[in-house]
Amino acid sequence: MVENNNKPILQLKDISKTYSSKTSFWGGGGKEIVALNHISLEIFKGEIFGLIGESGSGKTTAGRLIVKLEKPSAGKIFLNGNEITGLRGKVLKDFRLKVQMIFQDPYQSLNPQLSIYDTVSEPLHIHKIENVQARKYLVIQALKSAGLTPPDDFLHRYPHQLSGGQRQRVAIARAMILKPKFVIADEPTSMLDASISAQIFNILLEMREKLDTTFLFISHSLAAARYLCDRIAVIYRGNLVEIGPGEAVIQKPKHPYTQALLDALPKFGHRYEVRRYDTLLKVERDASQVEGCPFFGRCKVAHQKKCIRERPHLVESDGSHLVACFYA
Amino acid sequence: MGRFEIGSYEMSMEKLNKKSLNRSPRIARFRAGWAIYRQNLLGKIGLTLLVIFALMALCSFIPPLIDPMYQPMTGVDPDIAKSTGPSLRHWLGTDFMGRDILSQLLAGARVAFMVGVSAAFMSIVIGTTIGMIAGYMGKFVDTLLMRLADMIMVMPTLLVVLILSALFGQLNIWIIVLIIALFRWPGVSRVIRAQTLSLKQRPFIEAAKVAGASHMRIIFRHIMPNVLPLAFLYMTFRVTSAIIIEAALAFLGFGDPSTVSWGMMLQWVWKTGHMFKAPYWLLPPGICISLITLSFYMLGRAMDEVLDPRLRKEAETG
Amino acid sequence: MALLEVENLSIGYHSQKGYIHAVEDVSFSLEAGKSLGFVGESGCGKTTLGMALMRLLPPNGVIREGRMLFEGNDLLKKSDEEMREIRWKKVAMIFQAAMNALNPVHRIEDQIAEALLTHDPMCSKEEAMKQVEDLFVFVGIPKDRMRDYPHQYSGGMKQRAIIAMALACRPALIIADEPTTALDVIVQDQILKEIKSLQELFKISIIFISHDISVVSDFCDDIGVMYAGQLVEYGDRQEVFTSPVHPYTKALLSSYPTVTGEKYKLEPIPGETPNLINQPSGCRFRHRCPSAGVSCKTESPVWLKLTPTHRAFCSSIR
Repeated sequence: MVENNNKPILQLKDISKTYSSKTSFWGGGGKEIVALNHISLEIFKGEIFGLIGESGSGKTTAGRLIVKLEKPSAGKIFLNGNEITGLRGKVLKDFRLKVQMIFQDPYQSLNPQLSIYDTVSEPLHIHKIENVQARKYLVIQALKSAGLTPPDDFLHRYPHQLSGGQRQRVAIARAMILKPKFVIADEPTSMLDASISAQIFNILLEMREKLDTTFLFISHSLAAARYLCDRIAVIYRGNLVEIGPGEAVIQKPKHPYTQALLDALPKFGHRYEVRRYDTLLKVERDASQVEGCPFFGRCKVAHQKKCIRERPHLVESDGSHLVACFYA
Repeated sequence: MGRFEIGSYEMSMEKLNKKSLNRSPRIARFRAGWAIYRQNLLGKIGLTLLVIFALMALCSFIPPLIDPMYQPMTGVDPDIAKSTGPSLRHWLGTDFMGRDILSQLLAGARVAFMVGVSAAFMSIVIGTTIGMIAGYMGKFVDTLLMRLADMIMVMPTLLVVLILSALFGQLNIWIIVLIIALFRWPGVSRVIRAQTLSLKQRPFIEAAKVAGASHMRIIFRHIMPNVLPLAFLYMTFRVTSAIIIEAALAFLGFGDPSTVSWGMMLQWVWKTGHMFKAPYWLLPPGICISLITLSFYMLGRAMDEVLDPRLRKEAETG
Repeated sequence: MALLEVENLSIGYHSQKGYIHAVEDVSFSLEAGKSLGFVGESGCGKTTLGMALMRLLPPNGVIREGRMLFEGNDLLKKSDEEMREIRWKKVAMIFQAAMNALNPVHRIEDQIAEALLTHDPMCSKEEAMKQVEDLFVFVGIPKDRMRDYPHQYSGGMKQRAIIAMALACRPALIIADEPTTALDVIVQDQILKEIKSLQELFKISIIFISHDISVVSDFCDDIGVMYAGQLVEYGDRQEVFTSPVHPYTKALLSSYPTVTGEKYKLEPIPGETPNLINQPSGCRFRHRCPSAGVSCKTESPVWLKLTPTHRAFCSSIR
């Protein structure tokens, strides 16, 4: 566990991202889709921070903004206190040394035409690190610590000859070879079998121990987040609704949406009827005109007047546990 | 409902294939592609014809070695000064000034390959590069390059070459090749651009970006190997059109007068008034032009099937 | 008598690389109104098993031996025509990618009515529409959405529509192959509850195929754990999950993170699933098994009967 009193390595300040759906030729039909709505959060050095949400919640967008695959519509991102929003040229390249990403789909994230050696050594090439001999050594080390043994067997293979789990290990080796300070793991196991996922989780934990890397773990699974993460943030339709220490969020969730997520998880051996919180409406309310709480449409707890009009902000509810709900 | 079974089955098959192959994807793909190609009748015919034409081109060096009178351009049979039919000395006969038609035909094969392949190669290099850059860069670069491509695409190549040769007199064969290449890349670049647009979205490109790769590196190291098969496919179609353009130019009298091409031979037949009198002279180059374009076309069609699984017949799944 | 009884079923695929043993020697039985879950990782043969029960294997799939007794009659002895009768009317299926099973150009209600009318020609159009309306109420789609097209539905609603379609002919058995895999947890939960209550309402038997043990453990009465084409443990839900016996079941359970109870370190299963073409002799799990002994290498495991309902396919447990 990580103490919260040390300095944040990454800060998001009031980040918003909107996409405008393509306007038609005549100018009509341009609709704004809000992927992220004024998100602020801090991630501390050495922790694994979980960002949990359903599909379309904006969790992947958040990760892509941090690695600068996309630009925020508003707000600022800081790495070690330096703003990264407008980086270019040499400074951007230096930033790439520090921040890496592990992608969701290992079948798509490796170039089918490059051998494993070429794929993993590419970051070294790009940043002109070491000579050929030393690079080979580093690649072998990276493959070994990603659990691909014996590494020599894999160097000259190609992605199509590997299983999904092995491919994801290659992707991890590629991300970790630069010894980055900060790594975003975007649903790294959603395409993999359960037994393989557990292997990947344990590799990430080992990497954190060995390299003192900070992770942002993006996932739809609260169970996986509980296993991996020191702190967990829950995101709903672009809004952060709850942030807190992992165990606290899982054992004592405060936001009705987090509670609904936990309710929905199958629990070994429990019958379906067992619900602890029961915060979800049977029939959704029409919430298209609601200015207030984003979860109003599905929330059983919501108060008609207050929740419609006012948007709840993240407030401390007990210690480091923040919740965006009037009734938490 | 049938779709699902086939789909999931194919996926499991893919996995199995992937495990058992221990080769580079290029070799593995080549082998798999060749297996599909071999089942294609058109492809087999096309390839056989091309091999024959290639042999002809190689053999074109032999007749002049036997006797200088078999020089396709300058060699004249001392005993013959007019067009004669096939004989033992001249298997396909002679032309109006006693030159051997067979050796001309063989030399023509060489020229056809030279013109076709080099023009196609150049236009593919230009088209692929421009297509990748336009697709990858997007925005204003894309618009600019694609408008340029549109402009060139609507210009009739033949007409432009005719005007140029009217302006500058007889054109050298390499200039003709260059002009054909410069006018035939837009189609290629459109296709490559579309392919690049879809590749650009793939996570492995984003992974390269996150690793810090420059635009140049992404284009040439990550995108190019993935569009090359398509580029080669288009090359076969471009060869066809280059050969036809060169033949048409030569026939109309705008070819390189120092080169013996099939189009040139046809022009000689026509100009000396042997069009309907000497079938032994008219037919061979005519048939050759048709067959070589046809065979490149068939090759392309078969390759198309190799590259695009949707075109394949269902039979191969088993 | 059981509704469905499967005995010694073996299924394989012919491929270029050789014969793939997809399912081997699987036996189980299912009572009317009960649910049976098959759990296993990708490539363990669970989807093949479901397809075989519907007799919908791809052309190169063969059912090598075994019997599938449905209401006492062997499905393998039925003609294609009889099988078509049985499909949908008696045995319906909800596919993995079911959301794509809806035709995008027809209204949802028409598609479901269509399914009804083809299997019951005596039914009038009005009656069919009335039934469709009832079905929509059952699966929880608001009436005013009936006349929508598939693209207007969310993923969860499409899945509900598919369930309505599967229920249309009141089948005795539904085979659900990963029916909720692509959906978010909350929607998955709602749909599973829906299926569960409909199952109880109509007394339907369900074969539930999934990679997710936690879902199966919640949903099914009986559970079969599959590994590399074989059934390795079979029994009552409580027995399998509270006192698992087979090392694979144990390992699978301990590699799953949970939200309840103490946080524990996950113990993933080392290694990868074996190739289904060259089956190792002896137990298929032995390479990854913590308790494999010498005999596991050469001797095929035997079924160990623990209770009348609970059995495990392993020789290392005594």
